[in-house]
Amino acid sequence: MRLLPRLIGFLVAAFIAAPLLIVVPMSFSTAPSLEFPPPGYWLGYYAAYFSDERWTQPTINSLIIAFGTMLLTMLLVTPATFAVVRHRFLGRGIANLMLTMPMAMPHIVLAIGYYSYLGDLRLTQTHIGVIIAHTALSVPVAFLILSANLKGFDRNLERAAMSLGATPLRTFWHVTLPVLRPGFAISALFAFIQSFDETVVALFISGRESETLPRKMFESIRMQADPVISVVSTLLFAAVVLAILMPVLWKAVQSRRSRSGSGSAARGNGPAITGTAPSDTNPCAPARVQLEA
Amino acid sequence: MIPTALRGASKPWLLLLPLALFLCTFFLVPLGQVAMMSVTEPEPGFGNYAHLAGDALYLQVFLNTFLTAFGVAVGCLLLGYPLAYLMAQSSPRVAALLMLLVTMSFWTSFLVRTYAWMVLLGNNGPLTALLGFLGWDPPPHLLFTRFSSTLAMVHILIPYMVMSLYSVMKRIDPALLRAAESLGAKPWGVFRQVYLPLSAPGMVNGATLVFMICLGFYVTPVLLGSPQEQMVAGLIGTQIEEFLDFGQASAMAMVLLASTLIVLAVYHRRFGLDRLWG
Repeated sequence: MRLLPRLIGFLVAAFIAAPLLIVVPMSFSTAPSLEFPPPGYWLGYYAAYFSDERWTQPTINSLIIAFGTMLLTMLLVTPATFAVVRHRFLGRGIANLMLTMPMAMPHIVLAIGYYSYLGDLRLTQTHIGVIIAHTALSVPVAFLILSANLKGFDRNLERAAMSLGATPLRTFWHVTLPVLRPGFAISALFAFIQSFDETVVALFISGRESETLPRKMFESIRMQADPVISVVSTLLFAAVVLAILMPVLWKAVQSRRSRSGSGSAARGNGPAITGTAPSDTNPCAPARVQLEA
Repeated sequence: MIPTALRGASKPWLLLLPLALFLCTFFLVPLGQVAMMSVTEPEPGFGNYAHLAGDALYLQVFLNTFLTAFGVAVGCLLLGYPLAYLMAQSSPRVAALLMLLVTMSFWTSFLVRTYAWMVLLGNNGPLTALLGFLGWDPPPHLLFTRFSSTLAMVHILIPYMVMSLYSVMKRIDPALLRAAESLGAKPWGVFRQVYLPLSAPGMVNGATLVFMICLGFYVTPVLLGSPQEQMVAGLIGTQIEEFLDFGQASAMAMVLLASTLIVLAVYHRRFGLDRLWG
């Protein structure tokens, strides 16, 4: 490959990386407003984040709401996915369309709908209200991931279990569920993240009582008043980095261990990213396609 | 309950029922309410839509939105293509590292990335300082302009583009390129006549995704854009928050929704939707 296109490629990579990295030094900055490079460094705003109820409460709210969304989504989506993937029936196409439709909605459109509809039901400014709205938004993602997993499931495993005398319930519990566990885990995780990150709908329907972290962040950025935002940003970015690196490092450690037997620990100069081929299409990518902006 | 129903092929609707009820109650009805409000608030009729079509301000906002979305899609394509190409041509190790970077950006909250651009483009930020240093005096005001929101949106949406492109490029058979070369094509000719057309599906996928997401983008234009040059989603928010004008906001939302669905429908007719979601 020639030099120039290569160079441009790396420049674009830098363009992607730079803004992500800049929030880290900002979080240690002593500056009370936006200023880069920072005039000095301290941990004061970290202390402020963890001790200020105006930040901790939205964080807790977001965790509760994301967890509730995850549970409700999985409870609703699991049976529906079995129905759509395993059965041919009248209206299957419509069901399929409806399950993926919330994905194509600009969130601002739904935000108006929920603002007035949940308001009529007196559910705005409640955790339940936000959980309900977020569940509707998480259904497509959970459904797509789960159905992709279910399509790849070899039903002969179930047939084998049942021919050996297992009841359907035992078959489901001891065969189907364990085999599909990664699929369940990933779709649940996506439902969780979808809710935890969702800004626009939460902005309109979560009031003071159920204010989510993204809503608090949005208001804080809009006011440009609170340097704690850089701390929250850094923590969120760090969580993403950890979550992504962990499986990579884990795989690297395992492959190293299996390759070089027991004596490998001596070499231990950190597991490199060797041996992990680029995941072709990132499994996470298409599923996050949401007009959530 | 699930497993018995799993066997009985007659009960799919029973399995679907809870979710169907939920989505009807908490997705279709609220959506229908938006449609209703657009023709009943403040009074029955199509007054809100007539107002939309008749007022140059609203038309300007819609035009602005489409142009911005188009610009962001083009920007993502121009920047994303070299990166995806680099990934497709590099050793697995370099490609994995670059993919890691793209994935990290992808998963980092929109708000975090928007905030980062606020720091970068702020009056006391590095970019303004650099421009001042280069002799631009006084340095330009970068924040809260169409430029700042467009740039940030390109950065935020470029992972979608890179992933779409890369998944297509990786499947391009290198033998085709060698064949073209052996038949006497120059490197640029190989790229233009073989590689570029073969990577076109990735370009279309990525651009459609970016364009669609951008049409309804709320967070970044509101936080970084110019208040005088709002995009549709931002204006809808203003109508509600400041004027409580649900009728007008709903009408705009319906037009926005229709635009998004038209883009999807056109894409579906030509390529099939399954490919877009991956």
